[in-house]
Amino acid sequence: MDIIQLSWFQLAIGFIILIIPAAIFWWYKTGLNRQMVIATIRMTLQLLFVGYYLEYLFEYDNAWLNTAWIMIMVVVADFATIDRSDLKSKWSLILPIFFATFLGIILINLFFLELVIQLPKFLEAQYAIPITGMVLGNCLRSNVIGINDFYYNLKNNKERYQFYLASGATRAEALYPFFQSALKKSANPTLASMATIGLVSLPGMMTGQILSGASPMTAIQYQIMIMLAIFSGTILSVFLAIKFCNRTVFFENDMLDQSIFKD
Amino acid sequence: MILQAKNIHFSYPGEPIFKGFNFNLKEGEKVVVKGESGSGKSTLFRLIMGFELPDRGELLYKGEPLTGSALRHFRTKSAWLPQDLNIGEGTVMEVVQYPFQFKQSGNSMPDSEKIKEIFSDLGLEPETLQKTFSDLSTGQRQRVGLALCILLKKPVMLLDEPTSALDEASKQKAANHLLSDPKRTILSTSHDPWWVERCDRIIDLDYHT
Repeated sequence: MDIIQLSWFQLAIGFIILIIPAAIFWWYKTGLNRQMVIATIRMTLQLLFVGYYLEYLFEYDNAWLNTAWIMIMVVVADFATIDRSDLKSKWSLILPIFFATFLGIILINLFFLELVIQLPKFLEAQYAIPITGMVLGNCLRSNVIGINDFYYNLKNNKERYQFYLASGATRAEALYPFFQSALKKSANPTLASMATIGLVSLPGMMTGQILSGASPMTAIQYQIMIMLAIFSGTILSVFLAIKFCNRTVFFENDMLDQSIFKD
Repeated sequence: MILQAKNIHFSYPGEPIFKGFNFNLKEGEKVVVKGESGSGKSTLFRLIMGFELPDRGELLYKGEPLTGSALRHFRTKSAWLPQDLNIGEGTVMEVVQYPFQFKQSGNSMPDSEKIKEIFSDLGLEPETLQKTFSDLSTGQRQRVGLALCILLKKPVMLLDEPTSALDEASKQKAANHLLSDPKRTILSTSHDPWWVERCDRIIDLDYHT
């Protein structure tokens, strides 16, 4: 069973449905209509751009080119992480988060693409790019939650951290409870979605595969795999992001550089 | 000298605290730091602990400047009781036991009987151990902090108002635990004449700064 091809006209009809949220927003004077229009235009243009780019990427399907694209995705995610967090855009955060996310993504990709799926071609674009995109999107969300919680918790409870240091803790030992809290907070959304998946929501990847004609069981196998990739990828990237940032945002006396905070 | 401050200058933005402050502390001395509010008593402790850095001058522990690895070594030999203690969300037992897990501090975990004994000496019920630390009153938190300092048995202690939350009977027991070791060096702040009387000498910051 092949997927029904959508014409541009059919897709344009799809936009008509926005009248409903627009009317609700207008009625309740939310002021969100302008934001909705901008977001819709951005979403459409970004996806069209990616669509054209992916066609090119799939045609050449070169491991180096795919890695370069993954790096670009990570760079964009890196800046978006800092932008959405309450921390300042400083190189002492941007660089460690980039390396942490890139390392996390590469490890997860190598494990799932090469060891589990065993792609015939190294980092084949058809698999590597969409899977990276899904893991990365979730890493971004978890990194924002994780680094925000870690550094603001540390800022708000600095007496606790300092008390531990003063009692002979190493920096890592004194930071341990803050790590615990950040990991719990960043893991919760993914754990919650894993607990309800299939019952409450049918995830996008699975829906896409079923729409393109894959059997539901194959789609489910891929979905289970992607959930494992997302969960392990997000935890790994939060862990590495905080570990790497901690090498650049502390002074020699173990005090946190307060200039990383926006407020 | 176990602790020395040499020509310390320190200011918060727009607020000078120390302008060439000096002191010497011999091993085993029990010293009280006195001064008006804002004279820098707590800041002095924070400087010694390395939480603030002096603008000029240096602090020394056994002749070594308190920076880098010497600072970390000093912290394994010290205990610090701040005035408002906020050290965690777990139970009091968890909060008390946590510092004993630090590898370099060289402390062995006290058994629960020992913890209860010190708690009782400071007027804390044994049931306090099962309560959530953040639910305790300021005075109770201060007493838990003092109990922790006693249990840690460090050779250097920086104590901010150690007797402020204690009644007369508990004060005597706390003093027995803290002051009886002739090798232990204690730098404290206190408005309590009872405690001041039991210390060897006073450093007056209003006079020094």
